[in-house]
Amino acid sequence: MTTLAHGHRSPRRAPAAGTAARTGPTLVGVTRAEWTKLTSVRSHLWLLLGTVVAAAATASALGLFVRPDDGRSGSWVVTSGSVLAQIGMLVLGALVGTSEHTTGTARTTFATVPRRLPVLVGQGVVTAAAACTTALLALGASVVATTGARAGDAPALDLAVPGTLRALAGFVLASAGVALLGLGLGALLRRPADAIVGALVLAVVGDHLLATAPGVVTDTVRAFLPSSGARLLQDDAAIAALDAATRGPRLGVWGGGLVLAGWVVVVLAAAAYRLRRHDVR
Amino acid sequence: MIEVEALTKRYGSTTAVDGLTFTARPGTVTGFLGPNGAGKSTTMRVVVGLERPTSGTARVAGRAYADLPAPLHAVGVMLDARSVHPGRTAWKHLLSMAQTHRIGRARVHEVIAQTGLEPVAHRRAGTFSLGMGQRLGIAGALLGDPATLVLDEPVNGLDPDGVLWVRRLVRDLAAEGRTVLLSSHLMHELALCADRVVIIGRGRLLADAPVQEVVARSERAGTVRVRTTDDEALVRELLAVGAQVTPQEGGTLHVRGTSVDEVGTAARRCGVTVLELAAETGSLEEAYLQLTGDAVEYRTAGAAGGAR
Repeated sequence: MTTLAHGHRSPRRAPAAGTAARTGPTLVGVTRAEWTKLTSVRSHLWLLLGTVVAAAATASALGLFVRPDDGRSGSWVVTSGSVLAQIGMLVLGALVGTSEHTTGTARTTFATVPRRLPVLVGQGVVTAAAACTTALLALGASVVATTGARAGDAPALDLAVPGTLRALAGFVLASAGVALLGLGLGALLRRPADAIVGALVLAVVGDHLLATAPGVVTDTVRAFLPSSGARLLQDDAAIAALDAATRGPRLGVWGGGLVLAGWVVVVLAAAAYRLRRHDVR
Repeated sequence: MIEVEALTKRYGSTTAVDGLTFTARPGTVTGFLGPNGAGKSTTMRVVVGLERPTSGTARVAGRAYADLPAPLHAVGVMLDARSVHPGRTAWKHLLSMAQTHRIGRARVHEVIAQTGLEPVAHRRAGTFSLGMGQRLGIAGALLGDPATLVLDEPVNGLDPDGVLWVRRLVRDLAAEGRTVLLSSHLMHELALCADRVVIIGRGRLLADAPVQEVVARSERAGTVRVRTTDDEALVRELLAVGAQVTPQEGGTLHVRGTSVDEVGTAARRCGVTVLELAAETGSLEEAYLQLTGDAVEYRTAGAAGGAR
């Protein structure tokens, strides 16, 4: 308050109402602000609702075609809407990361928090939280939506099947991971089209393209793409089948999750570097 | 207090700000004036830490902006009315700003009331007119009750009521001992509410002085306008006492190097009837055009290889 010393016209009055203590930006405060920002844009909420509906609808439809001799498990049926769910998640992350820059909100945000990195941390926390919540809702909706399929030929959701609980938790974890990947790419590239296409290629499309030409090289590349995170959704039998089929490295139960986590860390670190070093327009 | 020292900002080969030095002091409204692309907005973005200077420094309250312990309380910033997500309501936008610094909801309501945004507080910012967007920007700047305000074109797009309101607001803020740095391309506006003007052109400082002093520098300042029944006689008389006379359209004469009193006396001496006699006042607009015109001329001469 240097103006106290220099203010020569009239003394400054007491701090305004509501500003009892003049604290600076804190990580908790910035995270709360980011939560307000994420939940106050209607399109974000529609996107998450759409993700839940799409995941449940997909699971419901695919469940009708599962026969007992397909070798599909109960958890596969419930999480079969995961591809659409993950697309929803990575679009959400990319929107949170890029909308700052495309709408000019970045000028307000980073003038308010000039150290900048707490904003990225806050965005990471709220994006992961929104993704986990959405994934849990999608999971619940999918369980309900596949009731009819289970009444038919689809296998029951049996927690005694090895890896079933992990597969269900993996759906939530992988969702959060993909959302964070979208956020990192969004904050790094600052343009939604670039971020969304990049994330789609890395987390969904690339794997499917490479799968058309199996071999040592393509299987190795596939293993180290973030799409490996989808292995978190597989129960023990499915993991064993994947490892048996690949000509690349065998990632086991947790390897795929670690690959996705590695991508998230690297991309977010690159985004943090750009945020710290580069100008905000 | 805002201190900008030898500030230079380059984008590749383009120099947006070139060795700019000025100070905006507490209790003063400092007007920041320059043609489009002169580097006003760039300078303001550097001051609030959004851009890094290529060289030189910009300090607020004695520190680099990024080192301020509580930026929202130290500096109120309004850079562009479009610094808001169009899908977010004014209330949520201000609330999210307040939450970073643990400012209570009561204060958010207060600035909404102060800026007249109550009727539209729960509408999405994308539906706002330019004027409402400006009010929202000003509300955000006032939120932390800061000692320094940086306002980029705050009257842009406001209706006459709003312009009057901003003028009174910045005067009041300065009267409370705050530092106000305010850019505008409306020179008339600055002449009415600024104490001091900093004029830049092509990123360089052209003038940094009290408004009255800059106005006095304009060509018309100190000129006497006179219209008589017999110009010829008066011109002879005036030239004899060493004044310079330039005939103007509409039968008036502009006389320099003298005063209203002397012209009146001269007219009486040669017996002409004075129909009109007045001292011309300079305007900030003129002084500004003169200064920026010179800057352009200088650059053109430099580019042609001629040194002046």
